[in-house]
Amino acid sequence: MWEQILPGLRIKIVMTVLLGVIYPLAMTGISQVIFPKQANGSLIKAGDKVIGSELIGQTFSKPEYFHGRPSSAGGGYDATASSGSNLGPTSAKLIHGTTKMDDKKNEVVDFDGISVRIVHYCLDNDIAYESSVPLDQFKDAKGDLDDVKLIKAFNDDKKPLVFTPKASIPADAITASASGLDPHISPDSARAQIARVAKARGSQADQVNQLVAQFTEGPDLGLLGEARVNVLKLNLALDQQFPVKK
Amino acid sequence: MTSIGVLQIAIFLGLILVCAKPLGGYMARVFEGQRTFMHPVLRWLEVLTYKLIGVKEEVEQRWTQYTAALLSFSIFGFLLTYLLQRAQGFLPLNPQNFNAGNVSPDLAFNTATSFVTNTNWQAYSGEATMSYFVQMAALAVQNFASAAAGMAIAVALIRGFARQEKKTIGNFWVDVTRATVYVLLPISIIGGLLYVSQGAVQNFKPYTEVTTVEGAKQVIAQGPVASQEVIKQLGTNGGGFFNANSAHPFENPTPLSNLLAMFLIFVIPGALTYTFGKMVGDTRQGWAIFAAFSVMFLIGVFVCYHFEQAGNPIIGNLGVQTAATSGQSGGNMEGKETRFGIANSALFATVTTDASCGAVNSMHDSYTPIGGLVPMFNIMTGEVIFGGVGAGLYGILLYCILAVFIAGLMVGRTPEYLGKKIEQKEVKMAMLAVIATAFSILVFSALSSVMTFPEKGYWNPQGAATANMNNSGPHGLSEILYAYVSGTGNNGSAFAGITVNTPWYDLTIGLAMWIGRFLFLIPLLAAAGSLAMKKKIPSTAGTFPTHGPLFVGLLVGTVIIVGALTFFPALSLGPIVEHYVMQTGKLF
Repeated sequence: MWEQILPGLRIKIVMTVLLGVIYPLAMTGISQVIFPKQANGSLIKAGDKVIGSELIGQTFSKPEYFHGRPSSAGGGYDATASSGSNLGPTSAKLIHGTTKMDDKKNEVVDFDGISVRIVHYCLDNDIAYESSVPLDQFKDAKGDLDDVKLIKAFNDDKKPLVFTPKASIPADAITASASGLDPHISPDSARAQIARVAKARGSQADQVNQLVAQFTEGPDLGLLGEARVNVLKLNLALDQQFPVKK
Repeated sequence: MTSIGVLQIAIFLGLILVCAKPLGGYMARVFEGQRTFMHPVLRWLEVLTYKLIGVKEEVEQRWTQYTAALLSFSIFGFLLTYLLQRAQGFLPLNPQNFNAGNVSPDLAFNTATSFVTNTNWQAYSGEATMSYFVQMAALAVQNFASAAAGMAIAVALIRGFARQEKKTIGNFWVDVTRATVYVLLPISIIGGLLYVSQGAVQNFKPYTEVTTVEGAKQVIAQGPVASQEVIKQLGTNGGGFFNANSAHPFENPTPLSNLLAMFLIFVIPGALTYTFGKMVGDTRQGWAIFAAFSVMFLIGVFVCYHFEQAGNPIIGNLGVQTAATSGQSGGNMEGKETRFGIANSALFATVTTDASCGAVNSMHDSYTPIGGLVPMFNIMTGEVIFGGVGAGLYGILLYCILAVFIAGLMVGRTPEYLGKKIEQKEVKMAMLAVIATAFSILVFSALSSVMTFPEKGYWNPQGAATANMNNSGPHGLSEILYAYVSGTGNNGSAFAGITVNTPWYDLTIGLAMWIGRFLFLIPLLAAAGSLAMKKKIPSTAGTFPTHGPLFVGLLVGTVIIVGALTFFPALSLGPIVEHYVMQTGKLF
């Protein structure tokens, strides 16, 4: 009996040393020598400060930058909490969003929902739309759109708000990625944002357009995967070529 | 569907086909103990291993001894994996200072079970739970070990068909050592470096603190990822280093690394069909199985791709582009990465569930109902569409036994497969394996659907177990069903919205994994033992040939019918009803 059982313990120890310690150490050593940049996370530095990774998306919300996709990683692009929304196709939360009460008993946005993202995408990028109720009704005292009011209007059982853009919205622009860290947007989603970015920077749209074209990567080997634009790299190039006038 | 999407699927399957013969022939030589071109480089390591573990290379085992060895291998694997997780606070390479508080006993049980049974279900988020040392020395090691065990069992079953009037079916320790030394390790070293070249990280640094362009703080998780990523795919394990698994840009940075991942998942299962043919002395038998695999794979991938590209009509009605254009992929992009788009996400989802891998590059929970039904159904077949390393082959051989049995019933002859009479014992053992897994899936899903918990209970928060779901309506049932399907099928992918890190779910899904692994394997080893003792009978004009299109059709039919009849009621309450509800625009 023991001759069948003892090798189990011994082989577990042998495997742990060989495959659990020596193998990953050797792989790390080799990788650090031949692919030092990739092995350490494809980090981008400005001087000696790390400002991000080429492969990990960041939150961009200012008008002078191209914006990435919605993110479900932590509070958005949290690279210690990668995650998708895990909401299914018939989820009311996914489509119209939900609100919640915060510590101070104020109603705040819990999840923004695709409908609300579409409204913002249209307004941000000057896309024409039709709305069953004028959007002014959902503005707060400062004149900004109040998402809580919007979410409630979309979720209204009796007379829900109907908002229809007059141009189709790229699918990736209003859906959350699987990792929540997607560094890319589709070329269409980038093009839709050009006018806003150019205006905010006081530069010509066709100059920004050229930059977008330059930063559009085709499928790998001309075949694999999708065409895409790396948002962080594009925004860094923008800052360099068309700095924001302060 | 786009033509470039279809072309990518064709290229992928072509690569697997091209590698089947060379790799399959190589593995046949390895497991029969013949010299290969790798022996000058690696033979010393094989011999050293036998010396260290105290095993004689030439001594063979009966099926009972072979099973005892498998159980010992699994139990020590389980114990050490459990202990290392709980002790991580005292171990090195832990820059984020994770400790036993991050891994509760029930979570450690679930995870250890998961990595011993080749499931790699993860009730935890890797980057917030496990130290680098635990990832590499506990989890990655089990990725090698459970894969090697799967290959060993497949080879033992092949020997059952190939031999006659023999009492032994090989030596488990020798088979595991050879699988690891000659197959898994060399491919991992090459594949791992390819991963790093694409941008997968491989370091021991603390998480990197970053000040973003807009001035926010971002902390980027790091680790020895590539070395684990490669065996995660090659061993059809699927347990990600990070929570987002192969969707995370550090695990799967580019479409090229994505192709590498899918290639690694299918390459051994595809090649083992040739190994099988070679070892039983008729390679046509292996190609017949490869053909059956390919037919079922293609059906699944095109159904999934079609429905994901068609997208969600509810979102389409809001004014969102669902058709693919040159500038964006359209379709259902919720839970998918831009670089993979629809085609490579649907292909990956099909591949990872055809095999018992369970890595995901997109979130299955957010798939359209029928798009998500495909991965679920793939696992329900018992993962016999290419399948896990070893597991796919021994699973499909079980269906071969059933297929010839059914054919035999129809014409009133004693069924034969590869010259072996299939008798009461083999059919009983095959049925036991099928029934045990169906029982585990359906009973646990039903229990979790009706269970309620009292206040201040240990097992789950107060109230119904269904409160752990992230979605309500039929999609919620799909989440529970998928969890037990994935556990029992030793897959490990998830409709990941459901909160499964509670003692109730950790324990029941853990039990489902044990049942799915060992109540499937042990009957098969028993069948292997009894087959090996039988004489081969020469084929006559009345023998049903098992290498032609008729047999391939019969085999595919058997798999689909057994899966469909067993699970159709459950599937109609989940994804199928959700599909029709979605067309009406109803939300939950």
